[in-house]
Amino acid sequence: MVELTVNGKTVQAAAGDDTRLLFFLRDELGLTGTKFGCGVASCGACTVHVNGEAAYACQTYLSDLDGADVTTIEGLSPNGDHPLQKAWVAEQVPQCGYCQSGQIMRAADLLIQNPAPNRDEIREHMSTNLCRCGTYTRITHAVERAVREG
Amino acid sequence: MGKIEMNRRDALRLGGAFAFAIGAGGLASVAHAATGPVTPNAWLRIAEDGEITIVYPLTEMGQGSSSSLPMILAEELDANWEDVVVEQLNRDDRTYGNPLFGNVLYTAGSTGVRAYFTPLRLAGAQARRMLIAMAAKHWGVDAAGLVTEPSLVKDPASGRTLSYGEVAALWDESISIPEVTEAHLKAPSDYRYIGTDMPRRDTKAKSTGAQTYVIDVAVPNMAYAAVLRTPVEGETPVSIDDTDARASAGVIEIVTLPDGVAVVAESYEQALAARDMLDITWSETSPARSFDSAADLAAYETVARDLAQEGAVWSSKGDALTAIGGAERQIARTYLSDYAYHAQIEPMAAVAAVDPDGKGAEVWAGTQSQTLTTLTVSNVLDTTPDRIRLHMMTMGGGFGRRTALMQDYVRDALLSSKATGRPVKVVWTREDDVRTGAFRPAAAQHLSAGLSGAEIRGWRHRVAAPSVIEFFNPIRWEQVKPKDIITMKGSENPFYALPDLLAEHLVTRRGARLSPWRGIGAAYTTFAAEAFMDEVAEEAGQDPIDMRRALLRDNPRGLATLDRALEIANWPQVPEGRALGFSMGHYGPSQGALVVEIDLDTATGTIAVTKAWGAYDAGLIVAPDNAINQLEGGIVYGISSALKESVSIVGGQVEQSNFYDYEILRANEVPEIEVELLEVDAPPTGIGELSTPMVAPAIASAFHALTGRRIRHMPFTPDRVLEALGTPT
Repeated sequence: MVELTVNGKTVQAAAGDDTRLLFFLRDELGLTGTKFGCGVASCGACTVHVNGEAAYACQTYLSDLDGADVTTIEGLSPNGDHPLQKAWVAEQVPQCGYCQSGQIMRAADLLIQNPAPNRDEIREHMSTNLCRCGTYTRITHAVERAVREG
Repeated sequence: MGKIEMNRRDALRLGGAFAFAIGAGGLASVAHAATGPVTPNAWLRIAEDGEITIVYPLTEMGQGSSSSLPMILAEELDANWEDVVVEQLNRDDRTYGNPLFGNVLYTAGSTGVRAYFTPLRLAGAQARRMLIAMAAKHWGVDAAGLVTEPSLVKDPASGRTLSYGEVAALWDESISIPEVTEAHLKAPSDYRYIGTDMPRRDTKAKSTGAQTYVIDVAVPNMAYAAVLRTPVEGETPVSIDDTDARASAGVIEIVTLPDGVAVVAESYEQALAARDMLDITWSETSPARSFDSAADLAAYETVARDLAQEGAVWSSKGDALTAIGGAERQIARTYLSDYAYHAQIEPMAAVAAVDPDGKGAEVWAGTQSQTLTTLTVSNVLDTTPDRIRLHMMTMGGGFGRRTALMQDYVRDALLSSKATGRPVKVVWTREDDVRTGAFRPAAAQHLSAGLSGAEIRGWRHRVAAPSVIEFFNPIRWEQVKPKDIITMKGSENPFYALPDLLAEHLVTRRGARLSPWRGIGAAYTTFAAEAFMDEVAEEAGQDPIDMRRALLRDNPRGLATLDRALEIANWPQVPEGRALGFSMGHYGPSQGALVVEIDLDTATGTIAVTKAWGAYDAGLIVAPDNAINQLEGGIVYGISSALKESVSIVGGQVEQSNFYDYEILRANEVPEIEVELLEVDAPPTGIGELSTPMVAPAIASAFHALTGRRIRHMPFTPDRVLEALGTPT
């Protein structure tokens, strides 16, 4: 038996289950805000937090998560009002929106590590996550706004 | 959507809803009923509680038209935007067809606002006039004395008001649908929404994970499918050993497809695991086995440069050949560009639940055309549109990827569902999508011009590339051939004073699956045309900006974009060790200019774009903040294409697999971007693809400014940069 916490709730999976966290979240728990993009940790669309740090859910296996604490975009804030989410709306960041859950979770990971990153630190930290619509400029501005407005 | 285009009996069943209908040809009343919510025409309904439902006829892939199109109607209706609910059009209903695509429902070509601007304004104005007439009748006053404020009719003489919901409750059979013409439309100075920074309606859902895409759809009893596709286009499975796959955990069925084998299982990972166990012998007879991108491009180049070979005329003005031949000097150059992949981040997916008789289905899909999805389902199931219940989903990026006549991912889901009797979600892996991708075509372009003194005499633009339309939409090709707008767009070069111009399409053999791609032909024809213009200027001993200015003498709007881009870039100021470049560009009737600053690592051959400034004229801008977001994104897409993106094919197989070997631009490679939209008094002309094509020539121009060398093969990868610099690789 593997037991982990997802967005504050305890969930269980069979021991030896080699399901990837991405598909467990999406298809078992219905938490579809975490996206499948590449399957190989190259695009960041599946970014979640495991024990408070950013992780690629597509390369994280349930069998390694016994006792782990997982946070997804759905659990980042109670009402979608995390400072980053408010900044995302204020800066009108998303176009297609598909990558944005991962972007926000990645940015939240940065702010946990460094509450006041400069622009270059933001760009470097966010370079794990692809956005094909090209909203990178607005993502940077939104992170800066979240830092500013908290 | 059945509530919109309805006959009288439907309307009565609905209760008192107004329904207004507007086809491509104009306005016509459809139906109305005695009590309850009011449905003025096909585009909107007004409920007695004041809720206003507006039909969105396109599909949303990030461009934002699911906000901006309803806002256009709401503007003329004088609706309170908070009262508006947007309803996705979910079937092939030509009442709502895109007038710029022959009334097919088609979301492409940066046409959304341009195509629907007038029809939606007329629909809103008609409903508004009708509401005013109803209020006037109720109050017993002359309608001409009444005005509207957001979602209410007001009688200024008495101060009385009726909300739109209250007016809707006043419907009776004597109310007629008023005629409207453009004379009834608001003056732009009266706009409440158009031209303001109204937020998009989808931002919150897209910032909380709540937005659902087709890949997120879950229906009861749903199974999952993964598909093993033939490694080479045109092959089929000859024999399938699926013994191990069938015994694998969770596997429900193995389904043979025309070009692959689908594994249907209880979970997606089970389907993927079993897929790896398939042992398939593929046919080995396909002509596509000879596809070789390097050899094919070399062959295209030979064709482009062989002036004895005539192409299909794409655009012709005056007599280019005589003008060039009669000039003092002749200049010619050749430019190359590789295949490029869309790289939309949502993988291809679809969900289908085929009816027990196999002749109908409920389908969830994210595509750029309700019409073509309906056609795909009709063809696959050999059925009629009335048996298809379609759910058009927001797409995780489009860029042309989801435009094909035959939507094979939808087909995969249908055939898998039909074979199992279960609803099935098919999801292509990233590797599936890259290896089975349909690409922007490779192209070799040969340009020539005459020069007499510093004057250009004649302009000839030869594009040697396959026909995209012939492949991705053969029905359309029968209607338009030999003119292929997808391959050729941009080479018509209408904004310069080039009175003698010939643009020719040398139709070459196709060496890959092909598709429209952001900017379509302009993504490479603008590179060649603008890079060549720089080279002609150099040969003429002219400053390339001065030469453009002269060529823009009849195009003050274009000149204004150039002047403004140079101004905001503070041209020609540039930090030591860097260089500026610029380009003009157009997409359809929209045009603009871009300045970029680059840095170059001469040891590795890596170009970095460090800044970008763009100025654009796209007529009236309905949603300026979203337009700027699109233009910024288009620049990023253009830098990515210009510097990094290349698909190579050997033996008919795509060599790339995923984002680790098909790299696109990342956050730490994105320059500071500043874009501006010029304010002009002209109709809206399109934004989505405008800023992408001019990026590559601007970078090439900057590269020349920095190094004195020309780079003529896109993308400008480090090996090509080093080659241009004369450094052995």
